[in-house]
Amino acid sequence: MTNTRPTGDVATAFALISGATVLGGIALALRKPNAPADRAQTTVRSARRLNRAAGTLAASVLVDSAIEHYRGNFHNKAMITPLVTASLSLAASLHGTADGRGEAHIIRDLIYAGAGLTGLVGTGFHIYNISKKPGRLSWQNLFYSAPLGAPAAISLSGMLGFLSERLRDNPPNKPPTILGIPAGRIIGAMTSLGLMGTVGESGLLHFRGAYHNPAMYLPVTMPPVAAALLGASALGKSHTHRPITRWWLRATALLGFAGTAFHAAGVGRSMGGWKNWRQNLVDGPPIPAPPSFTGLALAGLAALALLEDHPDD
Amino acid sequence: MTDRFPGYDVLAKRRTPSWNEPTRQVVNRRLAVPREPRFLTSDLFVVLDAVCQRIVPQPKDRPPVPLAALVDTKLFTNLQDGFRYAEMPDQGEAWRRGLAALDEAANTHYQLGFAKLGGEQQDDVLRRMESGELAGGALGDMPAKLFFEHRVVLDIVTFYYANPTAWSEMGYGGPASPRGYVRIGLDRRDPWEAAEAYEGDDAKARRENGFVG
Amino acid sequence: MSADPFLADPFVEPRAINGRAPDVFKPGAWLEMSQYDDNDEVDFVVVGTGAGGGPLIARLAEQGFSVVGFDAGAYFRPLEDFASDEIEQQKLYWLDERIIDGANPIRMGGKNSGKAVGGSTVHFAMVSLRFRPEWFKSRSQLGYGADWPLDWREMWDYYRRAEKALSISGPVNYPWGPHRPRYPYRAHELNGAAEILARGAEAMGYKWTATPLATVSAPHGDSPPCVYRGFCRFGCSTNAKQSQLVTFIPRGIAAGAEIRDLAMVGRIDTGPDGRATGVHYHRQGRWRFQKARNIIVAGYAIETPRLLLASANDRYPDGLANSSGLVGKNLMTQANQAVFGVMDQEVRWNKGPPSLSITEHWNYNDNKDFHGGYCWMAQGPLPVEWASIVTGSRKRWGAPLREEMMRYNHQVGLKMVGEMLPDERNRVTLTDEVDQYGLRIPRITYSWGENDKALIQHALGEMHRSMELVGAKDIFRQEDDTNHLAGTAKMGSDARDSVVNADCRSWDIPNLWICDGSIFPTTGGVNPSLTITAISLRTADRIKALANRGEL
Ligand SMILES: Cc1cc2nc3c(=O)[nH]c(=O)nc-3n(C[C@H](O)[C@H](O)[C@H](O)COP(=O)(O)OP(=O)(O)OC[C@H]3O[C@@H](n4cnc5c(N)ncnc54)[C@H](O)[C@@H]3O)c2cc1C
Ligand code: SF4
Repeated sequence: MTNTRPTGDVATAFALISGATVLGGIALALRKPNAPADRAQTTVRSARRLNRAAGTLAASVLVDSAIEHYRGNFHNKAMITPLVTASLSLAASLHGTADGRGEAHIIRDLIYAGAGLTGLVGTGFHIYNISKKPGRLSWQNLFYSAPLGAPAAISLSGMLGFLSERLRDNPPNKPPTILGIPAGRIIGAMTSLGLMGTVGESGLLHFRGAYHNPAMYLPVTMPPVAAALLGASALGKSHTHRPITRWWLRATALLGFAGTAFHAAGVGRSMGGWKNWRQNLVDGPPIPAPPSFTGLALAGLAALALLEDHPDD
Repeated sequence: MTDRFPGYDVLAKRRTPSWNEPTRQVVNRRLAVPREPRFLTSDLFVVLDAVCQRIVPQPKDRPPVPLAALVDTKLFTNLQDGFRYAEMPDQGEAWRRGLAALDEAANTHYQLGFAKLGGEQQDDVLRRMESGELAGGALGDMPAKLFFEHRVVLDIVTFYYANPTAWSEMGYGGPASPRGYVRIGLDRRDPWEAAEAYEGDDAKARRENGFVG
Repeated sequence: MSADPFLADPFVEPRAINGRAPDVFKPGAWLEMSQYDDNDEVDFVVVGTGAGGGPLIARLAEQGFSVVGFDAGAYFRPLEDFASDEIEQQKLYWLDERIIDGANPIRMGGKNSGKAVGGSTVHFAMVSLRFRPEWFKSRSQLGYGADWPLDWREMWDYYRRAEKALSISGPVNYPWGPHRPRYPYRAHELNGAAEILARGAEAMGYKWTATPLATVSAPHGDSPPCVYRGFCRFGCSTNAKQSQLVTFIPRGIAAGAEIRDLAMVGRIDTGPDGRATGVHYHRQGRWRFQKARNIIVAGYAIETPRLLLASANDRYPDGLANSSGLVGKNLMTQANQAVFGVMDQEVRWNKGPPSLSITEHWNYNDNKDFHGGYCWMAQGPLPVEWASIVTGSRKRWGAPLREEMMRYNHQVGLKMVGEMLPDERNRVTLTDEVDQYGLRIPRITYSWGENDKALIQHALGEMHRSMELVGAKDIFRQEDDTNHLAGTAKMGSDARDSVVNADCRSWDIPNLWICDGSIFPTTGGVNPSLTITAISLRTADRIKALANRGEL
């Protein structure tokens, strides 16, 4: 029979994705410990980490907005924009992650600025879209109309990338600053805010899903703690060692991947399972969304390293 | 009648997740209904067939729906409605009397059997029944109007719109399980739904309708 | 398909036999089920497994009573048995012959009567609304109909329990009436038809909301979320719909209740002391007799009085529980008129549950010159039903019919659910014709009163205006439709003018209970099933309390 829920598919998908998550986790955990040789190196290393964070976010946005706007039939030509900017941001981030040079790159800069702007304009579009719906700013529209928070993710990617470029702008052998503020602090603070925004978005969508599975509380409990710890680090003393913050951020990064696994399982248990992917991939829980937490947690880790490497008080 | 959904065939989805096994079986059975009468006499069946052609004239370019056979099968299997107007006999009896009455009226007004009349004349006889003008004779005490509205039109039309030919011509998505619909808002179409041709842009609709399967 | 004939055809042989019942969530799987002997005097026999019977079967079994639930219908496995087809799925309906008459005969069958384990909830449209508090006291507070012997505040709590048990997906804030707790699941996305209703309501300055529905918007247990296939009234093949078949019935079986499918109860016997002793039922080709200490009748507003009347004996010559003479009387249906039109946009109203949005406006604004309330909801008839509306209301046939049907994807409509007033002349009686079991078939007599007509015209006018305001073209009215049933065994506080008391216990026979849509003294202006379910949950609690006091 083809009309039953293929539990086999669920299991396979779950196994594959959990496997990938575990591998990713191990890879992250086994990364070389930060033992900076000289200070210029640490700054560039942090910048590269930020590029990586920006890239993770961009990848998440790319796939997520592709699916969401495909659902919307790309009925407005502008709906292609986030795909283009997210792809560019992803490319710039890959380039930046590989780039060991200590200076900003004009193309990357432009792309990141563009991504930041796209997010803002996108938010505007989405607000406009909601304002035309009956019910205006109601729960119904927050749940099902163009998501208000989603475009902000591409802005966040742009912001992280932009901060990365500013980091590279710093002269070697001096504690890096951005706009005159110690870089670790500003990056930590911005990332903390970004985390809270993302929590808001996932809180809204999980509320829409009635928190039907207790695991749905994780993304609204773990990341806020991470944001708080990171925020405290960004505003507090800089040369304290912060193992709890670090581990919490790492756990949050893993949570992003785990979310993807959970969402994939959710798609599998929807009616028709993976055989009905044309419906369930779009209507089911968004598989590409959760790694935005990973991206932000990675940025948080970079900020933490900067704070520890360059105490400013 | 212009085809608003050129190239759309709901049967193209038969093997997709839009159709489950029970649906395939049900529709197959319906399409394979025996074309010979099993309940009505062949004389009355000929009248029924003529009536069906007037109640639902079928499209030339899509597979015809065996309406008379489907109605006869309903009577043969005694698939009931769940109610009967107090003035009406049971459905089989009602159809027997009603068809005979149409033949009778055709003979009275045109001196020919109903099936032999031209379309206009058949419509005229049907309208006499619809208005309640026919009475007595083969009808007995059955009210003509009620028979026309609740047997003739409903039974025939019901079976027409329970067929892929009708679903296709009206651009209806058709069976939908396990796959239902994703894009449910105004002016939104899932790729497995019929595309409508606007302002003569048939080609685009036809192209899109090629991909519903 | 499986070679197992039991799987292939739910009508050939009962499925709930040999100590097992179908597991509706897993193809081919079975649940272990208790089984009682006909000679076991079980604590409760429940006749009917729908909105009224289902919750009682589960709750009584959970409270430790021995329970057998009978249903004349089949035990379906939605994942395996349900086709996406309007005609095939008539197998869910009560299609046995019933005679209809009166000035406005009620068309029976799919419109209002189910025949399946799970009752009409297997094919209902899932709209799950609470009564307006005043409706429980419409005689004393609003000046029409009759008072219920129930307090709305107590009902508010049972509504909450019913909503929880059925995992209702509803709006975060419901705009009318006293505060209610948050629905267990969030409302569904609006489809095009529902958005049109919302736009129309806003243009008129009325509130609207997403409709609370008994289909889940996110996974629940073994139910996947709704896939918006729109065949809800023909059975939900995904189990997203929280019918009795997938909620209380499995709960009851897990708690030790027995379900007997394809088991038609034809008569209730009473003993020398006047108490009910058991039921005669037809199953597997023969008549049997199940002994019982208590009998609960939950066959809905036609079959319940039919059974009570058919059980007349020397001691109760007018039928059981009928000393008031009201069994079968005060039948009510609800006005279900509609206004339809055509939009420039593609609406494709067949997508999603049919009634995704609602306005209850008129129930909360009483400056009108008739009694009773109504609401209206978005619509999404499938082709066969739509064709019957177009032929019925516009008298179309021939080429004009086909032409009109081609606009299907642009069609939109609003449909009311309106309160009709109780009238003793509207009733169920027995004819001398018999059905396939040899049981006398019912005659259903119905005529609208002046108030009913005034309410209908008011609603049609309002809906018409709403359609005009959203720019619909070629607007027409469907004037003759009705849907839900109620009445015929009314609840009250006085044995002289009601059949059962507030606990759904018959005044005349203390171990005979009636708990389904037939006990409604008035029908209210919203869909009834949530109220039936809430009352059923309350009755289960009351039975427990009475049992504890030795008063059963
Ligand atoms: C198409 C449709 C749509 C609806 N939509 C809604 C909606 O959206 N919202 C809402 O609130 N309500 C809706 N309803 C109404 C709702 O389904 C009913 O009001 C409700 O189910 C009635 O509950 P009940 O327990 O009284 O009867 P039912 O649920 O009908 O259950 C009665 C059961 O008893 C069985 N039975 C009867 N007599 C016997 C006998 N003698 N022996 C054995 N078994 C017997 C029948 O087979 C049936 O299964 C809808 C109804 C229909 C038909
Ligand atoms: S629309 Fe939802 S509730 Fe209705 S039949 Fe489909 S899945 Fe079931």
